[in-house]
Amino acid sequence: MSIHQVAVMSGKGGAGKTSFTAALLKLFPEVVAVDADVNASNLPILLGPEQLSKADYFGMDVAEIDRQSCSGCGKCVEICAFEAIDHDGEKHFTVNDECEGCAACAWVCPQKVISLVPHCSGRKYVSKIENGFMVHADLVPGEDNSGKLIASIREDARALAEEKQLTSIVIDGPPGTSCQAISSLTGVQLVLAVLEESLSGLSDYKRLAQLLEKFRLPHLVVVNKGGLNAELGARVDAAVIEHGGKIIARIPFDPEIPQSLARRETLLDMPEYRPVVEEVFRQIQA
Amino acid sequence: MIISVVSGKGGAGKTTIATSLAYILKADYYDLDVDAPNGEYFLQPQDWQSRRVHQLQPVIDKDACTACGLCTHECRFHALYKILDTIYLTDTLCHSCNLCQEVCPEGAISYQQMSIGEVRTGLSERTAARAIIGDLTIGSTRGTALIQDIVRNLDTTTGHVIIDGPPGNSCAAVAAIKPAELVVLVVEPTPFGIHDMLQTMEIVEGMQKPVVVVANKSQDDAPLQAILEKRGYAISASIPLNSDYHRLLLDGEILSQASQHVHDVLQQAISTEVAI
Repeated sequence: MSIHQVAVMSGKGGAGKTSFTAALLKLFPEVVAVDADVNASNLPILLGPEQLSKADYFGMDVAEIDRQSCSGCGKCVEICAFEAIDHDGEKHFTVNDECEGCAACAWVCPQKVISLVPHCSGRKYVSKIENGFMVHADLVPGEDNSGKLIASIREDARALAEEKQLTSIVIDGPPGTSCQAISSLTGVQLVLAVLEESLSGLSDYKRLAQLLEKFRLPHLVVVNKGGLNAELGARVDAAVIEHGGKIIARIPFDPEIPQSLARRETLLDMPEYRPVVEEVFRQIQA
Repeated sequence: MIISVVSGKGGAGKTTIATSLAYILKADYYDLDVDAPNGEYFLQPQDWQSRRVHQLQPVIDKDACTACGLCTHECRFHALYKILDTIYLTDTLCHSCNLCQEVCPEGAISYQQMSIGEVRTGLSERTAARAIIGDLTIGSTRGTALIQDIVRNLDTTTGHVIIDGPPGNSCAAVAAIKPAELVVLVVEPTPFGIHDMLQTMEIVEGMQKPVVVVANKSQDDAPLQAILEKRGYAISASIPLNSDYHRLLLDGEILSQASQHVHDVLQQAISTEVAI
């Protein structure tokens, strides 16, 4: 069984990824949705899923020093690249929040009094939506390892799709072009880029497009909040062509849209935009 | 004073508010949204100077390496792997933790400085201050390291400093909030914006930073107000969703320079915390 994975990305935050994804998802007969924006997880707010299961996520172990047996030699402090080990001023060392769980301290400790212990950095959920399932997560605020958490829920989504014989996975991506974005993109067949027609949106789209070129990933473009500035609109069109994308839909700047989102509706509930979403659905299937 | 502007949700208006505050305070502006830096489109700095930022990363000496595989077993980030008789590094997974160098029995792994991005500094005529832009190499996963490097080099000798933070609530946001003496939390008062803001609030409260809340792109402040009140906060400034403001931003204007109203409400919002 082959599974088709599409990621909705933007570079810039607030471009409209989640609101567009929520509408698009509803058009699939059956689908597994992934909310990969694990430290600002908003897709569940729009889709109102019924939670089926939840599990603590242990991303990375953290170091723990047995203070009783520690000789206070300080070798752990020397090796630690994260300034994660504090000295109490006398002879004891303790591990602080900066620990990334690399275990270098445990390796160099002559007394072998440092152990690596599991550390919960988030919670993963599997939920039921009208036409399938949603896999999502909440990172504990301030935690590291968001990229790893995204990889983990994407594996869960894949396993779920195989188990339930579903052939489509749609990923609502995080903003940016760094670890979380990369973690959301690996192994997808197609990227749907939501480009906010603004100076920031255009700049961030270009960065995203360069990242996609590195991964040799094709992309289609939805231009959002457009139509207010013709000169900028022309620059957007040129940039998409230059980066090998294709604009398949345009949504204007319309204050009615955030109002409808505040009522937890999607674009499908607005008669003028329903055909736009339907067209995108057709194009990403093609 | 060091003021960090953050939001949780992307697109809430961090850059709009941060550049506006930089204008009001004639403050140096630091763009720490390093994988989507946009402040320069509004501040329009000139006379750029740049410096590259490096981070130590492992390099394997292929001649000395016997491919014993110990490093691949010990690396907790699965950044090293072995195919046939060669060890490979996936640099996007590497945390530069020193462990592989330590475990290698042959001394075949050394740490060398690799570029992760650049910091560009220009002078903005509009704010009569500097704009310092963190620009992460596209495809690099070392955003937090770049932010930390810029934070270590923050220069507060010339006056107030505005930090434009990254979206989200992970380690990158923490790194941008850490140096702040005041946090300006920009909230889009929508279900999404409020949800993400509450997570940022947890970080900020954990670090015991004073907070000023600015509602932006607001069509209705009431839901946000109710939630903030319960937590002992209030909305200090509210900027409506307004297509005129949006148009000004499309033209690359600093909102507080182009709109006297925005200037006044933002100045009022921070006046209790910052000497202007």
